[in-house]
Amino acid sequence: MTLLDVRGLSASYGKVQALFDCSFSVGDGEFVALLGANGAGKTTMLRALSGIARSSGTISFDGQRLDARPPEERLRLGIAHVPQGRGTFAEFTVDENLSLGAITLSDAAQVRRDKERWYQTFPRLRERRNRLAGNLSGGEQQMLAVARALMSRPKLLMCDEPSLGLAPAITAEIFEIFKDLHKRHRMTLLVVEQNADLTLQFADTAFVIETGHIVATSPAHEMLHNQDIQKSYLGV
Amino acid sequence: MNSRSLPTFIKVGAAAIALIAPVFLPDFLLFEVCIALSYSIAVLGLNLLMGFAGQICLAQGALFGFGAYVTAYLNAEFGLSPYWTLPAAAVLTAAAGLAVGLPALRLQGLQLAIITFGIAAAFPQALLKFDWLTGGVSGLPIDSLETPAPFAGRPELWLYLVTVACAGVAVLLVSLVLFGDTGRTLRAQRDNAQIAEALGVNLTKVRLWAFGISSALAGLGGGVFAILNGFISPQSFLAAVSINIVIASIVGGTTTITGAFIGGLFIVFVPTWTSDINLALGNVIYGLALIGVMMISGNGVVGLVKKLVCGMLQTTSGNVPSLKSIQGRKQWIALRK
Amino acid sequence: MSLFFQLVVSGLASGAIYAALAIALVLIFRATSIVNFGQGEMATFSAYCTWQMINWGVPVWLSLLICLAASFIVGIIVFRSFIQPLIGAPIEAMVVVTLGLFVLFQAVTMWIWGADQRAFPSIFPDGGIAIGGVQVRISALGTLLALAIAALSIGLVFRFTRLGLSMRASAYDRTKSMLVGIKVQRMLMLGWGLAAVIGMIAAVLIAPRLLLSPTMMTPILFYGLAAATLGGWDSPFGAVVGGLLVGVAESLGGSYLPMVGAELRIVVPIALTLIILLVKPVGLFGSYKVTKL
Repeated sequence: MTLLDVRGLSASYGKVQALFDCSFSVGDGEFVALLGANGAGKTTMLRALSGIARSSGTISFDGQRLDARPPEERLRLGIAHVPQGRGTFAEFTVDENLSLGAITLSDAAQVRRDKERWYQTFPRLRERRNRLAGNLSGGEQQMLAVARALMSRPKLLMCDEPSLGLAPAITAEIFEIFKDLHKRHRMTLLVVEQNADLTLQFADTAFVIETGHIVATSPAHEMLHNQDIQKSYLGV
Repeated sequence: MNSRSLPTFIKVGAAAIALIAPVFLPDFLLFEVCIALSYSIAVLGLNLLMGFAGQICLAQGALFGFGAYVTAYLNAEFGLSPYWTLPAAAVLTAAAGLAVGLPALRLQGLQLAIITFGIAAAFPQALLKFDWLTGGVSGLPIDSLETPAPFAGRPELWLYLVTVACAGVAVLLVSLVLFGDTGRTLRAQRDNAQIAEALGVNLTKVRLWAFGISSALAGLGGGVFAILNGFISPQSFLAAVSINIVIASIVGGTTTITGAFIGGLFIVFVPTWTSDINLALGNVIYGLALIGVMMISGNGVVGLVKKLVCGMLQTTSGNVPSLKSIQGRKQWIALRK
Repeated sequence: MSLFFQLVVSGLASGAIYAALAIALVLIFRATSIVNFGQGEMATFSAYCTWQMINWGVPVWLSLLICLAASFIVGIIVFRSFIQPLIGAPIEAMVVVTLGLFVLFQAVTMWIWGADQRAFPSIFPDGGIAIGGVQVRISALGTLLALAIAALSIGLVFRFTRLGLSMRASAYDRTKSMLVGIKVQRMLMLGWGLAAVIGMIAAVLIAPRLLLSPTMMTPILFYGLAAATLGGWDSPFGAVVGGLLVGVAESLGGSYLPMVGAELRIVVPIALTLIILLVKPVGLFGSYKVTKL
C-alpha cells in the first residue's frame, strides 16, 4: 500500500529552482533512502514534503492531498521531519524538547506514556532529561531529535543527514535504532544521506537525486552492488 | 550615494527644482524648505552612520541641538558672526559625537540605539540644568545674517542660498567619504565586522570616523537651524527631534544621498499636510502614512520611486529586462532600437 | 538611613512600573525581534479606555477586566494589520512602523480625549504603613505586588503549560517550531496581545501618580527600554531585575548626586545601563545572541 505519493514536485529557493518535476512513492512500512551529492536537492525535498519550503505539484499522504496544507497540519496527519543539523531546541531541556514533539497531541496521559516509551528506547536521554539540549553531545542531540519527532506519533519519519558530524560508531547506533523502528514498529522511514554505503545496508528502496531530478530508483541491495550508479552519482 | 540608487535624470531634476524653487515659492514656504534642508544635513550624517556604518544612533537630534547651541552661544557671548559659527558648530559637535561614539564602539546595534535614545531624552533636561550657559527656558537669540546688497530686497532668498550651500558642502563631504576607500571599508564592516577586521580593517578607526563625520553634519545642520530661526530654546530639541531624524533617514532610504533630502522634506511637510486635511486627525493620518510608506516599500521613499520607475520602464517596453544585469541592459538597449 | 530606605522603596515602586513595560517590550522582542516603540502609547490608550469606563459609572474592577481583554485584542489587531505583513522586512522598516504606532496611538488618544490631564483613581487605598521606622505608601506596596503577580503568572504559564512552551519555542526558532506543529503566527499574535495587556498594567499603575495625559507614558518608555537593555533583551526575568534596578538607581541618584539633581536624574539609568553593557554586552540575563537592530 502506498503511504506517500509525490507527482511532479518542483521547488525553488528564491530564484534558484532546486527540484524539477520529481515523482516517486513510498509504501507503508517501507524504509527509503534518498541519496545524492551535496546540493542535489535532498534537503529541499524533505522541506517541501513537510511544508516549510514552497513547492508545486501534488503530494498525497495516507489518501489525503497535502500540497495546500501548512506544516502543522501535515505533522498532525503523520509526517515528522528531523531537519539537518539536529533541529533540537538548544535552550530547552531534553524533557521540554520531547513535550514540544507532542505539542499537537492533547491527551496528557498518552504523552506521558509515549515519553516513557522513548526514554526506554533512548536510556541516555532519560539520564539527561533535565539538561539543556544544547549541552548534549552530537549523538545525543541526534537521538533527541529523532525521539522528539517520534513523540508526534508519525506514520512517516523523515530524517535529514542523521550522520552529519557524528562519529561512525554513533552513526551506526542511530541506524540500528532506525532498523528497530522499521522492523519492530513498522515505521515508514525516509532518510536523506550522503553516506550511501551505510544507508543502503539498512534501506529497502533507494532513490538517487541529482541537480533536482530523480535519476535512479531501485531496491537498496541492488543499488549497493550497481557499480554504474555508485560511480556516476554517489562518487564512490 | 551609489549610482544604482536612482536614475540620474531624477537627481538632476531634483537639483534643478532646488535651484528655481525660490522663484515660485512664497517666502513662508521657502523658509519651511530651509528648515527641512537643515534637518536633511543632519539626516545625511545619520545615513552615513546608519546606512553605511550600520550603527543606529538615536541622539542625532541632541547633536543637532548641540550644534545649534554652539552657534547661538558663540554669537551671543563673543559676538562671532553667524557665518563663522557654522564651522565651529561642526567641529565642536564632531568632538561631542566622538565622546558619545567612543563607548558606543563596544555596543551592539540595539544597545547603542537605547543608550543614544537616553542621551536624546536627557539633552533638553541638561539644557535646563546648565541655564547659566544656555539661557535655560528663555533660550538664546542669534543675530540675523548680514545680507549682501543684491539680496537686500529679499533676505529670505539669501538665507535659502546659504542653506543650500551648506547642504551642498554636506553632500560633497559625504560623497568624498563614500566614493573613496573609506566607503568600501564602511560597507565591509557593516556587512560582516569579523571578516572585515580579519582583512585588516581597523574597526575602531572606521567607526569613530563615521561617528565624527555624522556628528559634524548634525552640528552643521543645527547651526543652520539656529541661524534660520534667530532664536533657540530647549523646546526645539526634545527627544522627538532625534526620533524624527531617524524617521527621515529611514523613510528617505538610509543608503542614499537623495533620500536624506526626501526624508527632511517628509518630516517637515507631511505632518503639515496631514493637519491641513483634518486638524484633529492630522497626526493619526501622519502615523498611518509612516506605517503605510514602510509597508508598501521596505526601503523607504527612494525604494518606492525606484520600484515605480522600474515598473514604468518595464511596462512601456513590454518585456521585463532587468536593468541591473549587463545582459538585461543590452537587451534594454536592443529594445530601444 | 531612613531617607535611604524611603528612596529605595519609592525607587522600587517606580521600578516595578518600568519593569512591567520592559516585560511587554521583551515579550515582543523575543517573539518578533522588534522593539515596539509604540508600546507605551498603546498602554496609555488602554488606560484612557479604563478611565472612560470608570467615568461612565462602571465599577473599577470590572472596567479593568474589560479593558485588559480589550487591550489584548488591540495588541492582536496591531500585530495582524501592521506587523505580520512586514515579517521578514528590513529591520529599519520595522523601526519606522513601531514609531508610526507611537504617533498613531498618541494621536488617537489626543483626538478622542483631548490633551487635558485627568485624575485617574488609584486602585489601592490611600495612606501608608510604617515598616521598621520607614513610612511606606500602600500604593507603592500594591504596585510591587501587582508586578510580582503579573511576572509570576507569566513565568508559570511559560514554564509549565503547553501554551507557554509553544510561545517560548516560537520565539526561539520559527522553522523548528513549525516542524513540531506549532501554529507559529498564532503564538506571535498571542505574544503581542499579552504584551499589550502587561503594558496596560504598567499604565494603570502609574496613571494615579502622573495624572492621565496622552503623553504620560512617553518618558516611561525610555526607562522601560533601559530596563530591558539592562536585563538582556531576551529575558523577561532580566526585565524585572532591570526595571527595579533602574527605578532604585534613578531615585537614589536624583537625591544623592548633587551634580545630577532632580532635573537630570534620567542620566543615572543611562550611565548604569552603559556601565553594565560595557562589562556585559548582552545585559545581565541576556544570552549571547547577536542583536542587530
